[in-house]
Amino acid sequence: MTQQHKVRLSVNGRAYEREVEPRTTLVDFLRHELGLTGTHVGCEHGVCGACTIIKDGKAVRSCLMLAVQADGAELQTVEGLHGDNGLHPIQEAFIEKHGLQCGFCTPGFLMTTVELLGDHPDPSDEDIREALGGNLCRCTGYQSIMESVRLAGAKLRAGAAVQAD
Amino acid sequence: MSTRIPTSLDGLPTTARRFVGKEVRRIEDRALVTGRAEFIDNLVLPDMLHCAIQRSPHPHARIVRIDTSRAEAHPGVAAVLTGADLERWCNPMVTAPAGWGPYSLAVGKTRFVGEPVAAVAASSRYIAEDACELIDVEYELLPVVADPCVATDPGSALLYEENGTNLMLDRAFTWGDIDGVFAAADKVFSAKFRWNRVGANPTETFGCVCQWDLVQERLTCHGAYQTPGFMALGRAHTLKLAANQINIISHPQGGGFGGKGGPRGTDIAALLSRKAGGRPVKYIEDRMEYLLAGGGQSWDRYYDAALAVRADGTVTGFRVKLLDDQGASAEGYGTISVAKPLAAFTGCYRIEAAQYDVKVVSTNRAPSYPYRGYGPPPHNFVLESLMDIAARGLGLDTAEMRRRNYIRPEQFPYTIPSGNEYDSGNYEAALDKVLEMADYGRLREEQARARAEGRLVGIGVASTIEPGVFDWNAYATVGVPGVGVPEGASVGINILGEVTVRVGFNLQGQGQYTLAAQLLADYFGVEMDAVRVVYADTDNAPPHFGPGGSRLGVAITGAILGACQAITEKLRHVAAVLLQAPFEQVELMDGMLRVKGVPGAQMPMAQVVGALLSRSDLLPPGMEANASTTSVWTAPGRTAPDADGRCKSYLTAANACHVVLVEVDPETGKTEILKYFIADDCGTRLNPATVEGMIQGGVAQGVGAALLEQYVYNENAQPLVSTFMDYLVPSINEVPMTEKAALVTPSPFAPLGAKGCGEGAIHTTPAAVICAINDALAPLGAMVRETPASPHQVWSLIRAARTASLHVPK
Repeated sequence: MTQQHKVRLSVNGRAYEREVEPRTTLVDFLRHELGLTGTHVGCEHGVCGACTIIKDGKAVRSCLMLAVQADGAELQTVEGLHGDNGLHPIQEAFIEKHGLQCGFCTPGFLMTTVELLGDHPDPSDEDIREALGGNLCRCTGYQSIMESVRLAGAKLRAGAAVQAD
Repeated sequence: MSTRIPTSLDGLPTTARRFVGKEVRRIEDRALVTGRAEFIDNLVLPDMLHCAIQRSPHPHARIVRIDTSRAEAHPGVAAVLTGADLERWCNPMVTAPAGWGPYSLAVGKTRFVGEPVAAVAASSRYIAEDACELIDVEYELLPVVADPCVATDPGSALLYEENGTNLMLDRAFTWGDIDGVFAAADKVFSAKFRWNRVGANPTETFGCVCQWDLVQERLTCHGAYQTPGFMALGRAHTLKLAANQINIISHPQGGGFGGKGGPRGTDIAALLSRKAGGRPVKYIEDRMEYLLAGGGQSWDRYYDAALAVRADGTVTGFRVKLLDDQGASAEGYGTISVAKPLAAFTGCYRIEAAQYDVKVVSTNRAPSYPYRGYGPPPHNFVLESLMDIAARGLGLDTAEMRRRNYIRPEQFPYTIPSGNEYDSGNYEAALDKVLEMADYGRLREEQARARAEGRLVGIGVASTIEPGVFDWNAYATVGVPGVGVPEGASVGINILGEVTVRVGFNLQGQGQYTLAAQLLADYFGVEMDAVRVVYADTDNAPPHFGPGGSRLGVAITGAILGACQAITEKLRHVAAVLLQAPFEQVELMDGMLRVKGVPGAQMPMAQVVGALLSRSDLLPPGMEANASTTSVWTAPGRTAPDADGRCKSYLTAANACHVVLVEVDPETGKTEILKYFIADDCGTRLNPATVEGMIQGGVAQGVGAALLEQYVYNENAQPLVSTFMDYLVPSINEVPMTEKAALVTPSPFAPLGAKGCGEGAIHTTPAAVICAINDALAPLGAMVRETPASPHQVWSLIRAARTASLHVPK
């Protein structure tokens, strides 16, 4: 049997510790070991972006990492967006602007948008294209996603302004 | 009881529609944006095993020997499946035309790279894949059929020796006096075209969890199934079970676009479960498997086509010779893509005669499956390209060329030469609208200035029909039987007045659950969020097909309205008693059962249902205490096909006109889409936001087909595409943001006047983009005749044209 390795990390603020085979990918670890199935697998070779999560503040492809490489990391997944106060403004924006159809790629788009709007609270269309260029959506043709991200930015800025007041 | 389904929004029992026809938010979305939707790979059953499949590395090879002993001995392995099991237990897959189906896992020989040869069920996917590598297969290579153009030559190797040929279908259809119109034509324009294989590629691949009940001889399949009932019929045949002993449980799907369903994967997981003592077996196709062998590869075609044209630009005849490469079998019903163009063969135009000469062949490429559009996108690329060639030949503007040939509004319903009837439309209005949006005159001026600067700027104008609401009769020409595609809905109202509807299909992205909630909320005067939409598996579902053929939105509207009407009739009887009024005077309006012309004489729907279900003492004699009913809709007026395939098939004909501005970089051959305008008429829009999403999504897939996507095979039928690094799905950087206008010519025949709208833009976009590129290249005398118009192809054409022009004697 392959040797097991201990992995300790936090996901959405909650600590986990598991023994895994070194070859276990991070996305399989999240989905099958931790039961966090909101992160999806579309290609397993880093092109489609469906598996995008936030690791230590940066959007990464969880299909291209091994779970053991995430030892000690702080992760955020789509399950962490929906808080006690309901949907995250980015989620609300995607619903309002019909930024999804089948919804399979959506968690990846949402997490990429989390990073984008963290770095650029008021992104230009060019910024949005640049950030989302690595996420494939086969349903929407991206126009409604573009609108969703613009609206999400506006919602977050409005929320920040209210908090500042 | 016969019902008349209203063909207009005015037929809904409300004075103020709140949901139908409005841009409402989708009820599906909360689960999807929170990652809570239960896609198939989320499903875990107790004691579940995981399947991995060993696939053929050869396009055509005899299987001499399979040794599974090392795999069987591997720790964690519960079962290994080979062709010997299939031979013992199964039938080959059903096909149309008949006799071109292999077993779900290779028996005796393999016919394409990626064909399943053996499979393993083990305690994890990782271990299953380890074990797969321990299966030793000895192959004897066979001569390969790689080129469909010579696949029927004498001496070619055969895919199915028992058929004695690789020719699946050879038919010629002639509609009208085709020889006469070509003989009488002032000009004939002809050209050859090549459409390379593209495919669906939903972001979620296929997956299933199958469990064979060894005691009851029953099978349960959870999975990403687009068409559950149809899947049960197919599995019943291959697995030799009664169809009613198979329960197909469809899960929400991460996109479909045609080939979602995985018949082979289902059979393999089911048989592994049978071998593993009935433990559930999960199979999740990976992307490489999808790209090699999954459902969705479509349209591998060679065309030779011609238009007969009068000097004034009137097109009188359209001839099409098609050589279609179906690949290694007809298991995926890809042949239907050859038949569907009959539903709109002559596009938006009054063309009096047409001819379709079809040869469908089998080669050692992967089998074809359905893909969004199901055949017309390449056909429209050919027709629209010829319209442009003709316009150039006659010195006409390409928009004007189309205008002169449109079917006129007063001619509807209009029967085309290939037999289908278009319900309604105003094609010239769509053209006018899109030209106005594009400011077409100025666009042409812009182009002239650009050309003067030596830039390659082009404008494409394309008009197409989207046949909507498919019917089996449309596919009679390839051997599919039947007329009518029933779709059911079971609507029930409980004692509190809460409304629930059960349907036989699961989510795939088109928003039909939202549509169901919109309809029921407006019909019974409740809130959309209060309507419960429930998926019913094949054990429980009414007759159904599911999404496909731009049909489900219309069909489920018909089914739900039929059920609403039946329940309403009952409620009127109850209310007549309660309100002490004649039945004829009682109506449902805005959620109230009320007496016509008597203000205040009314009761809320919930109260009437409450009485129906809890006050048998008040009910009219013989009335059943039940506010639930199932209604099944199928398109009215469909006809059996004649000997030439002519019939009323698709119920609705939506139309669209696209105008696109492109610039081609002469140094690299790369095409950039600068502007994109769409006027689309799909009748009544039941949720305009959903319709816009369907259109834009179709644009993206159309751009992919026109510029990027191709399943590349080498000269030995070895696939060269196995990842998204090679198969180029368009990203946000390639898909244009489009300006869209809605025209509304309601269907006189369809529920609420809505037309099928799920496939429109992929019918039009490839043609529009290629026409624009060819407009850009026209000054060079170069022309793209093959998809995709990749930078390399376009650059080569430019270079060849420039080289040729250097050698033209002055």
